Amino acid sequence: MPDNEQSAISVVNMRKRFGKLEVLKGISLNAREGDVISILGSSGSGKSTFLRCINLLEIPDDGVVTVAGETIKMRKKPDGTAEPVDHKQVDRIRSELGMVFQSFNLWSHMTVLENLIEAPVHVQKRPRAECVEEAHALLKKVGIGDKADYYPAHMSGGQQQRAAIARALAMRPKVMLFDEPTSALDPELVGEVLRVMRALAEEGRTMLVVTHEMSFARDVSSRVMFLHQGLVEAEGPPAELFGASKSERFRQFISGQAHKAG
Amino acid sequence: MSFADVIAQLGFGERGWGLALLEGALMTLLVSIAGLLIGAALGSLVAWSKLSGNIISAAVGNAYAAIFRGVPELLVVYFVYFGSSALLTGLGNLIGIEGFVGVPPFAAGALAVGIVSGAYQAEVYRGAYLAIARGELEAAKSVGMARLLMFRRIIAPQVLRFAIPGLGNLWQVALKDSSLISVTGLAELMRVSQVAAGSTRQPFVFYLAGGALYLLLTTLSNRVFDKAEARATRGLRRAAS
Amino acid sequence: MDLPFIVDTFYRLMGALPVTLSVWALSVSIGGLLAMGLTWMRVSGSKPLEAFARGYIFVFRGAPLLIQLFVIYYGLSSFAFVRASIFWPFLRDAYSCAVLSLALCTAAYSSEIFRGALAAVPHGQVEAAKACGMSRLTLFRRIIFPIALRQALPAYSTEVISMTKATALVSLVTLWDMMSVALKIRNDTLVTYTPLLVAGAIYFVLNFLIARAFMAFEYYLSAHQRRRLV
Repeated sequence: MPDNEQSAISVVNMRKRFGKLEVLKGISLNAREGDVISILGSSGSGKSTFLRCINLLEIPDDGVVTVAGETIKMRKKPDGTAEPVDHKQVDRIRSELGMVFQSFNLWSHMTVLENLIEAPVHVQKRPRAECVEEAHALLKKVGIGDKADYYPAHMSGGQQQRAAIARALAMRPKVMLFDEPTSALDPELVGEVLRVMRALAEEGRTMLVVTHEMSFARDVSSRVMFLHQGLVEAEGPPAELFGASKSERFRQFISGQAHKAG
Repeated sequence: MSFADVIAQLGFGERGWGLALLEGALMTLLVSIAGLLIGAALGSLVAWSKLSGNIISAAVGNAYAAIFRGVPELLVVYFVYFGSSALLTGLGNLIGIEGFVGVPPFAAGALAVGIVSGAYQAEVYRGAYLAIARGELEAAKSVGMARLLMFRRIIAPQVLRFAIPGLGNLWQVALKDSSLISVTGLAELMRVSQVAAGSTRQPFVFYLAGGALYLLLTTLSNRVFDKAEARATRGLRRAAS
Repeated sequence: MDLPFIVDTFYRLMGALPVTLSVWALSVSIGGLLAMGLTWMRVSGSKPLEAFARGYIFVFRGAPLLIQLFVIYYGLSSFAFVRASIFWPFLRDAYSCAVLSLALCTAAYSSEIFRGALAAVPHGQVEAAKACGMSRLTLFRRIIFPIALRQALPAYSTEVISMTKATALVSLVTLWDMMSVALKIRNDTLVTYTPLLVAGAIYFVLNFLIARAFMAFEYYLSAHQRRRLV
């Protein structure tokens, strides 16, 4: 039985199908505070869907998600799928999870500063002055302190993604979700984002990271989860998986990734 | 007025206006086609003037487009109809013809619709021309095609191809603008509906019937243009829609 | 060049400008509100509402405005039950009928513009807002609406200008707008070109000013798309 008192986020037996295709066939995860879990897998393995089901951007058909002790209430629908019972609860839990997207998704009509204070002011109802101050501090922390009044279109991909990370941090989230944060970046910009993520990990933040960056998975995460066709194929500390994994598929996967890295 | 009476009035019998309405619809089609063609001629001229780089002709083209996009179509109809009649009357008086000489409403109406349509068609043709890949024109030049041949075999077909969606739109506009020609007395659909409404004292029925016929014309036009677009874009690779 | 005549014509036409402008302003605003309702119906997910909106848009975009105007002004008054209803004082008045008809017509065109603008809001930015826990209302108010507004402005400005031109049709349902006055001057004086040219000039300037106003508004809203002045 997982120790729920220390559990930052837990998922039990998540299932999801799109039409006839079952993408998630029963995935469970338990992250304690401070855990940095890298979620790996080839395309089609369901890793992004899994992450998006956690904050209900996709609605899982089955499974229990618990964030900081609070379980998201779901009910079954006659057609076999499910839906959340209480949308206010969903909004509240979402505000405790910070998500960073592959394509940054900064709000294009707002400056970086406005992006950062938008949710703290309008969702968490915190005083504006406090949010602005914290936003400046966060921007400095991710290395773009001077870009506060820039519009997203005027920044490089790496800067935008760092701004997006700062935006997620501005919500003071309990857990951070990263959906392939560096996949849309030019190679020379990947490093600056990984550095920020590493700093967050070393701070003790709880992070779930779907990624292709093997270096991050191996060196920064406390645990690695390898998904294959909707199931957890291998799981454990990086040293164990990258060293001598029992899973043939995982070994194939890593060598395939090594080939891609060239 | 019973329901049966109304049906009789819409129908094709002795008291029926059905035939007149259909003839009006035909007239609407004809005057709209004429207008669209006039607009095509004017529009191509303006597009060419803008693309040619000649400052004066571009300015003239721009002025024409700006003016006829900025004034009410009804005003253009009146201006062309009354204005050309006044012109003709003046000319007639010069050579000894007494009194008022009227320009045929069909011609005046088609010209008015065409002048307005041309102002918009110019943009469509200009955009369509610019959409032709530079490379195709260079390829034609490099095999030694004469300018006129290049225009006939490469440019014109491609412009038409790209222009079809825009033209489909402008055709609908021409159809609707043609209803304004009713003020000249031309027996197109709007005018016939008006006459029938007045004669039978059933405005609701006949304006609705007229409206329904316009919708029919619109729907049939859509089909035609959709088919034309499908055929024209056969060879084009489109972004996945 | 009969200058005194031109000036006199100009003043008479300007006297009718308030009618033209008020019909335009009312029909654009009412039509705009109706359009928002129609767009909401179109994206609501409810089959009957969507069908109604699609049908409405088809009819009011497919038929000429003139016939729509006549159906409402001449057509409705022929029904006894309309004449007996509480709406009659409203529906017998040419001004109200004209505004109503123009509003219903522009609602159809505007609704399609709004729908296109909504569809153009990048889906990722909507997801980012949801992921922060924004409620549906906040999401619409802070993210969807501002972005859609910027998307809609160019096409909507064209529609608004179409509406000033459309007001000329109210001259055919007994309203004394600029078009009516121009025609009256022509009928009275038998001078053909001048009244129509002066009227045309006034309409043209009006549309020019409206176009400029929209451009200024678009410029104000588009700081995020312009080059940064460092």
